[in-house]
Amino acid sequence: MPKRSDSSEAPVIFDGVWKKFRRGERADSLRDLIPAVTRRVVRGKPPADELEDGSGDFWALRDVSFEVHPGEALGIIGPNGAGKSTILKLLTRILKPTRGTSSVRGRTGALIEVAAGFHADLTGRENIYLQGAILGMKRREIARTMDEIIEFADLGDFIDTPVKRFSSGMSARLGFSIAAHLDPDVLIIDEVLSVGDMAFQQRCLDRMKLFKSRGVAIVFVSHNLQQVASLCDRGIFLQHEVRAQGAVHDALAAYVNGTDALHDTGAGTTIEITGADLTDVNGEPVTTVEPGTPLQLTVDYEVHEELSDFHLGFVIYRSTDNMVVYDGGIGCEEAGLETVHPGQHLRLRFDFNTHLTRGQYHIQVHVYHNPSHTHLCKYSPAASLGVAESRSYAGVADVELSCVQARPALPHARPVRPASGW
Amino acid sequence: MLHEQLEFRELLLSIVRRDLLIRYKQTIMGFGWAIFMPVLNTIIFSVIFTRVTRLDTGGIPYPIFAFAGLLPWNFFATSLRFSVASLTSNSALVTKVYFPRELFPLSAVLVSLIDFAVAFLVLAAMMVYYRIGITWTVLFLPIVLLVQVAFTIGVGLILSMANLFYRDIKYLFEVVITVWMFATSVVYPVHLVGGRLAKVLMLNPMTPIIDGYRSVLLRGTLPDPGPFAAAAALSLIVLAIGWVVFHRMEFRFAEEI
Repeated sequence: MPKRSDSSEAPVIFDGVWKKFRRGERADSLRDLIPAVTRRVVRGKPPADELEDGSGDFWALRDVSFEVHPGEALGIIGPNGAGKSTILKLLTRILKPTRGTSSVRGRTGALIEVAAGFHADLTGRENIYLQGAILGMKRREIARTMDEIIEFADLGDFIDTPVKRFSSGMSARLGFSIAAHLDPDVLIIDEVLSVGDMAFQQRCLDRMKLFKSRGVAIVFVSHNLQQVASLCDRGIFLQHEVRAQGAVHDALAAYVNGTDALHDTGAGTTIEITGADLTDVNGEPVTTVEPGTPLQLTVDYEVHEELSDFHLGFVIYRSTDNMVVYDGGIGCEEAGLETVHPGQHLRLRFDFNTHLTRGQYHIQVHVYHNPSHTHLCKYSPAASLGVAESRSYAGVADVELSCVQARPALPHARPVRPASGW
Repeated sequence: MLHEQLEFRELLLSIVRRDLLIRYKQTIMGFGWAIFMPVLNTIIFSVIFTRVTRLDTGGIPYPIFAFAGLLPWNFFATSLRFSVASLTSNSALVTKVYFPRELFPLSAVLVSLIDFAVAFLVLAAMMVYYRIGITWTVLFLPIVLLVQVAFTIGVGLILSMANLFYRDIKYLFEVVITVWMFATSVVYPVHLVGGRLAKVLMLNPMTPIIDGYRSVLLRGTLPDPGPFAAAAALSLIVLAIGWVVFHRMEFRFAEEI
């Protein structure tokens, strides 16, 4: 891991951190403790594996290092139980690393669980004071931003109602709203933007971006990869250790491609897909393309039973949120196939175009049997594809947008000064 | 460092405010509960020790003797009862947000101190009723209180932490606190106990503390210097040990809770 020379300046430094947890049930009543201690005394010192890497313990994090600088957002992605929340708990000093150092400098706002400090019997307003204090705000500061907090949470008259009467969405909104009115140097966010309705989520994301532009260093953990892609500059794909680290799109690509649990070839059935190959029109393999690039996907099929009246499916997903970008395919007659026979090997080439915006996509191919309405086999991901461009902010389809000065459409609105060259 | 101290104070006040609000929210009696328990106990023990059998309380009317003991004892017992569960009942905060964890047992003690102050008004009224005048020794009252608070916080820190690791502690606590009360001169003068048992009871730091209240308020004398100084020293030691151990273990709380 190359070290930057200005590493001492970074507000968030995670340096070679290892964290070990105990697996299984702990003796947490004296009744369990006494036999456990007795056994230990009788047997002498515990076997080495109980203290080391054996059955009793596991490493939740192995040698993880990163830095976050002011105005930078780092996204941490990975499957459930990969150690993401452990990193956040280490950053917020709730846990202590087994090895290595974790340091956060400056005022830290942690949105680990937005409603953790709420007390059900207190009103919304009382909880704002309490939660605000827990997050490190001064009472005066809270009083000053009180109206803003209430407005952002969109709670209206409910603010003086005990929180136990709130809907879960309401208390989550309130929790986020309090945290959003902190004035932190470092912001640590764990999966909290997934609360509330879409409009609220968007408002939260905008707020995070505002923080970033003000020079706050952000560490963001989420399963919503679109949000990670939208907020973060850099990313870490974590699975107890760093699998990929770098620009956020590289980390996302590594994550979505590293999850090969999706593979389903349908071996041993009527028809099987044995391979797929993505190339450009010259037959060169591609991984990342510009929007509008024509591509070819060559797919190999192996027929096990006689088959007719089927459909060759072709689906493009956006990998970061599994959104279906395109779902279609080609009928067998259109591909020049009436009936296929056992033992037959087919190689079909799908030609298509990538009118997509930047992001990470993958292609699934399948065979669909029309009379029985069943998928005979599925192959996913048949290929992964990155699209790179820097014109769009978000979205999925590249509409080839351009802009020129146009003649006014309405007759009474005359051009003030016609542009030259008309 | 100073910055952290200031934040600490603000946060402590917020937690205390929350605990106070919660304690008496949706109750009709409110702070009346702070008075109710010691008053009820005083009535019960007064009936026993004035009607059933007589106790030599050194010239102090038994009801006020008992109340002056039950009041600080109640403060001690309530503080600890809330301390024991203070970390485990805030597990959402302990595992999700970082802030000084000693705030929870500290708040338990402070909230009980407010109850204590409220119930103290009853003691003042009783002193008027029994025509017990205030003397200069009342100036020593804050010192007695301070020693008690130090001891209570020390024990509270240890108990809250112990209960986090072993949930037996809160059951064990109820047994111990009941026995402890009768091992302290709360409802009877402990010097009436003789023999070897008296020597064991001498080791209990709560006796000089509780008796200290009676000395400075009712008898118009200073607390018995030897035992009180020993109790004060022990209180500081317990507080120091509690504080150090608590901070040593703090990082394991989120994992073990």
